[in-house]
Amino acid sequence: MNVLRLIARGWLLQVKMMSRSAFNGVLQIVWPLFFATITFLMYGSTNQRALVSAAVGASVLGIWSSTSTSGAAVIQRERRQGTLELLVAAPAPFAATILPVTLAMSTIGAYSMVATFVWGRLLFGISVPLAHPLLLPFAVVVTIVSVGMLGFLLSVAVVRFRSAWALGNMFEFPIWLVCGFLVPLSLLPGWVRPISWLLAPTWGVQAIRAAMLGGSPLPAIGLAALCGAAYAGIAIGLSERLVRAARRDATLALS
Amino acid sequence: MAVIEVQDLHRSYRARTGILKRSVKEVAAVRGIDFTVERGELFGLLGPNGAGKTTTIKMLITLLLPTRGAARILGYDVVAQAREVRRRVGYVFGGDRGLYERLSAMDNLRYFAQLYGVAPREQRRRIGELLDLVGLSGRERELVEGYSRGMRQRLHIARGLLHDPDVLFLDEPTIGIDPIGARELRASIAALVDVGKTVLLTTHYMFEADELCDRIAVIAGGRIVAQGTPTELKGGAHDGHVVEVEVYGPAEVGARDVRALAGVRAVTVEERGQAQVLVVQVAPGAEVTHAVLSCLDGATVGKVATREPTLEDAYVALVRQA
Amino acid sequence: MTALATITPTAWLRIFFVGGLTSYRALFNWIRPAILIPTFVVLPVFQILLFVYIGRSARIESDEFFVIGNALQFAATPCLFAMADTISGERQQHTLSLILVSPAPRIPLFLGRSLPVIANGFLASAFALAAAGLLLGIRMPLAAVLPLVLAIAVTSLSCTGLGLVNAALGLRVRETAVLSNVIFGILLVFCGVNVPLARLPHWMAVASGYLPLTHGIAAARRMADGAPLNAVAGLIGLELLVGMVYVVLGFALLQVFERESRRTASLDRF
Repeated sequence: MNVLRLIARGWLLQVKMMSRSAFNGVLQIVWPLFFATITFLMYGSTNQRALVSAAVGASVLGIWSSTSTSGAAVIQRERRQGTLELLVAAPAPFAATILPVTLAMSTIGAYSMVATFVWGRLLFGISVPLAHPLLLPFAVVVTIVSVGMLGFLLSVAVVRFRSAWALGNMFEFPIWLVCGFLVPLSLLPGWVRPISWLLAPTWGVQAIRAAMLGGSPLPAIGLAALCGAAYAGIAIGLSERLVRAARRDATLALS
Repeated sequence: MAVIEVQDLHRSYRARTGILKRSVKEVAAVRGIDFTVERGELFGLLGPNGAGKTTTIKMLITLLLPTRGAARILGYDVVAQAREVRRRVGYVFGGDRGLYERLSAMDNLRYFAQLYGVAPREQRRRIGELLDLVGLSGRERELVEGYSRGMRQRLHIARGLLHDPDVLFLDEPTIGIDPIGARELRASIAALVDVGKTVLLTTHYMFEADELCDRIAVIAGGRIVAQGTPTELKGGAHDGHVVEVEVYGPAEVGARDVRALAGVRAVTVEERGQAQVLVVQVAPGAEVTHAVLSCLDGATVGKVATREPTLEDAYVALVRQA
Repeated sequence: MTALATITPTAWLRIFFVGGLTSYRALFNWIRPAILIPTFVVLPVFQILLFVYIGRSARIESDEFFVIGNALQFAATPCLFAMADTISGERQQHTLSLILVSPAPRIPLFLGRSLPVIANGFLASAFALAAAGLLLGIRMPLAAVLPLVLAIAVTSLSCTGLGLVNAALGLRVRETAVLSNVIFGILLVFCGVNVPLARLPHWMAVASGYLPLTHGIAAARRMADGAPLNAVAGLIGLELLVGMVYVVLGFALLQVFERESRRTASLDRF
């Protein structure tokens, strides 16, 4: 219970911090809109269903963008500002201090989701169908949380690299492509498919699509949640090992 | 039972050198230190930069694993029972890092209160008390990025006290603070000891250590070179004195002769502006001023003064010897 | 600028080449494989693949269209960001005022800084072109290689011009990274990188003519289709012209803002 409260408080503070930075604030909304605009223009108005499907993908890509670009550098940021040691020295589990950060980032990405649909509606006349209005928020929340978990996994997986931020940027487009945000998965080579299945964003965007365009969103929601839980499990294990290694190798402080 | 027990504690680092030919070098930062701190004691750890003070503290607060030896805080082992140790110790370091700049002081404190498992109902009261204690009440809603150095430092102290720890580790807490701020901070530290906290303090300011510490360990090159009360370290303030001689010109040659004089305990040479100052520590009863001056024959001698020994004299002598 | 008169040509050149390289190394000490590979190899290839697949899915244009469009855009990005980072980086290290108080002439000072960046962008672009061509099995006439190199070079230069404007704005605004990203996004949408100009609304198509990159990409695409250099000379000339206008504008803004910063003390404001 205490851990959950800690995660909630950490999340709230992180969202607060991020919304105070113009860089995050402006860019987090504007950046995905560029890609959404390109996608809308490329699809044109000929195929409304493909366009709406792409619009869903375009709206979700911002969630991953903000998570991957900043998620990879989370731990280094804490180290740079000298707070990493304080987090480790506290009795709370280390994972519970890092997870809120990536969760907050994926949450901030949700701003762009709304922005994309407003933008698409106003400028490109894209309709916003709501096949399952009650399941949609559920699908969105599960997507955000599972993407946050993927970011968490990324953050602890890349921490050994001094230039983790570059890796974060690197993962932006591949996920957009492989998770079928803007392109139907059937178009990609067959060997890519198993990779897509392991990635929560694949199921997240499918769930949101089904909730908007029709179909049954629940299986995809379940799979997204499952992936997220798996990521969390692996990441918690990794983070414990990480802290132990850092205590042994003296890599917590920046000096 | 001692609050802090340190036995034969070692820590070495691996330093990598070279880019193409990677060679790993073991650098020993702490080479076997022992000390104990009793409940309610204020224990000072003094030593030059790189002597191993911070490394020692980091082992004690579970941020670093010792490479050898053991340490227990309130009976809990810092390696095997890290969680128990973390619950009971507070850590404050000097400088302006370690805070979330884009959050208010209030948010910083709330977050760390949560990290230390302070019950939500208690948080508000506790934070309020601490803000009063460190004199930040009324400013707690401002973002930390606008804080002055002193305010940040006081916020650090408040953060370290959130969970009402039994043991506090203060790593150069007064560094970079103006004299009045530092004086207030020292008063707060003394007050903490009065209410029964055990404090381990590192500092570079000898008067500060002299004023605050019950006992001091001087650490140099990763080893404890002296341990005792400030008075003991000064070599018994009542039975000795210090002669300071200003010398213009090379003083090292003369210093060697002075060291050999009977009744001289230690000699150090300090740069003070144009002059070099020979600081001669003299055993009780000995009268060496004339002998010292004759050793300096040939150099231009300025002011000569006799004074009580300070902790700094003892410290400088100890560190030079190490 | 009066100092220009007293500085010898060799000194001018030294500031241009040596100064440019030194500052580049000082500010971009991150040019290491661990960054180089993700940033200039993996990311570009995936960007091309992403748009190729969107193109296939939307049934527009050929794979080659996207390969060339994005490859030229990679030449643009480093120029755009690096110029602005030069200013904001100097500002962060508190060296900007030191540089601006020096009597060094501004043209070699700043353009020199663009030289390594242009080389950088050029390499990234050429690599992306080769790698994506290989991955997607695109064949380009061998004769098109040299003219393509020219197109990339000219486009890099014109983007550096826009980068200079961006850098000058960096003297005024704090969040230059936001600005750089916004300009980058605008180029991506407007300049026919991925969206055929014919699909743009009329006003956007018109605006694209005033941006760097647009004509360079058009020229490169036609050359890859086999058009000889003289057939696209007009496009390349236009690209160069647009670039020069931005270079001049950039320097003018630098002058204005530099003078203003002395008045308002905004140089070391964070």
